[in-house]
Amino acid sequence: MNVIEVQGVSKAFRIPSVHRSTVREHVLGILEPRQFERLQVLDDVSFEVKRGEALGIMGRNGCGKSTLLKIICGVYEPDGGRVIRRAAITPILELGVGWHPELDAIDNICLLGSVMGLSLPEIRERMDKILAFAELERFANLKLKHYSSGMAARLGYAVAFEAVREVLVLDEVFAVGDAGFTARCEERYRQLRTAGHTTIVVSHQPSIISAFCDRAVLLDAGKIVSADRANAVAQQYLSLVGPEAGVSA
Amino acid sequence: MPAEPAAAESAARAGWHGSRAGLIWTLVRTDFKVRYHGTVGGFVWALLKPLAMFVMLMGVFSFLFASEPNYKLNLIIGLFLWDFFASGTVAGMGSLQSRGFLLTKARCPAWILIVCSISNALITYALFSVIILVFLVLIGHTPSLAAALLFLVYGVAMTMVIAGFSLAASVLFLRYRDLNQIWDMALQAGFFVAPIIYPIGILPERYHVYLYLWAPTPLIQFTRSVLVDGRIPTLTAHLYLTVAVALCLIVGTVIYRRLGPRAAEYL
Repeated sequence: MNVIEVQGVSKAFRIPSVHRSTVREHVLGILEPRQFERLQVLDDVSFEVKRGEALGIMGRNGCGKSTLLKIICGVYEPDGGRVIRRAAITPILELGVGWHPELDAIDNICLLGSVMGLSLPEIRERMDKILAFAELERFANLKLKHYSSGMAARLGYAVAFEAVREVLVLDEVFAVGDAGFTARCEERYRQLRTAGHTTIVVSHQPSIISAFCDRAVLLDAGKIVSADRANAVAQQYLSLVGPEAGVSA
Repeated sequence: MPAEPAAAESAARAGWHGSRAGLIWTLVRTDFKVRYHGTVGGFVWALLKPLAMFVMLMGVFSFLFASEPNYKLNLIIGLFLWDFFASGTVAGMGSLQSRGFLLTKARCPAWILIVCSISNALITYALFSVIILVFLVLIGHTPSLAAALLFLVYGVAMTMVIAGFSLAASVLFLRYRDLNQIWDMALQAGFFVAPIIYPIGILPERYHVYLYLWAPTPLIQFTRSVLVDGRIPTLTAHLYLTVAVALCLIVGTVIYRRLGPRAAEYL
């Protein structure tokens, strides 16, 4: 059974020749009309994810991977097509940034955990586990503005890994933190897979896609150019990026 | 065709609905904590702002309007209603910008962040409402049940005006980042457009209609009318208020529904 169906999804951004973000700039520039360039980030993308499957998404920088993930998770609206979701999705997107700087780790965990679908009793019950996973027990009452970017990222991943309901969506998750934290993330990921969770993983690393995914799709210029077994797609990705990539399958 | 929640995904959303109450409570609690440093003292400190304003304005204008009966009572009611309107709209406008980081993390309806952002202004107003009612009883000016209920209705109406404004302003603010400065100027002018420090009667009656176009004016005047003068405004006046409040909510909702789905792209 498909838990996620991406059906003909398209997304474009209008890039203005001059960026105007204030009323003043708009008023003063009223006699200087702007040119807009249409950047087609995703073009008629379709695929599905089966229950319990691990799907990898690969592609070069700017090929639309992150936009696609945000559309799958419901953060962005597509211009065309649709996404059918038959399971609760827990995304791990941009978790290193955007915390409330004036709140401590505990309050930020409550905020992010509730947005990710946990109830307050569930959050309270898992609080120690989350802080332990992120190795931040000593800094639980420290405001996030005093955290390093690495600490903030670890906290985000720790919350998301505890909040997983059915589908886990990961954007370059294994590239964060030190070796110990990466190992814990990998271990947690394997536990979730063993428990039957569906996952979608975006990575530039063919070795990660090969090791953690059953199947993968390769995006290029907003289109799916290949959908196959993870190993095969990882090889195609290497062919696409060429020797300058410096990565191995 | 935009991606919309299909019937099939209702089960997927069930878990999220279960945590919605937790999210609302966490947003209100953390907003209180940030704004008032998590202490009752901080909250009381915030109440001092309109009180200090009241003392200062009363010191000056009670001499000017010495012949006006109940001037001081009208002044403090006007100031607290205005404070609710001003602080609610300012918080609502900045809600998505300050809490928008949550929108980029997971699927989260932006309206919850917007509506929760006005909770603290609402808490302050609710506390003031209790204080003013107790004060009126203590000075032997006990309002009738109908007046007290109408006072509650006007509070709800003001909340709806603030919510309508905030729905529109919060999504517009992400596109026009100086909107808060423009609104600050509008509030400064609006403070004098609304009859807060002066009795509306000092202006020629033909100008009253223009003052009533500014949303806080009818709410301040009607509140004073029921609490201080003991007069219930006419049915026509209430019809006007209903239309004005509905219009604020409808326009706010339309703008929010049009721009809100793309809010995350501007964060």
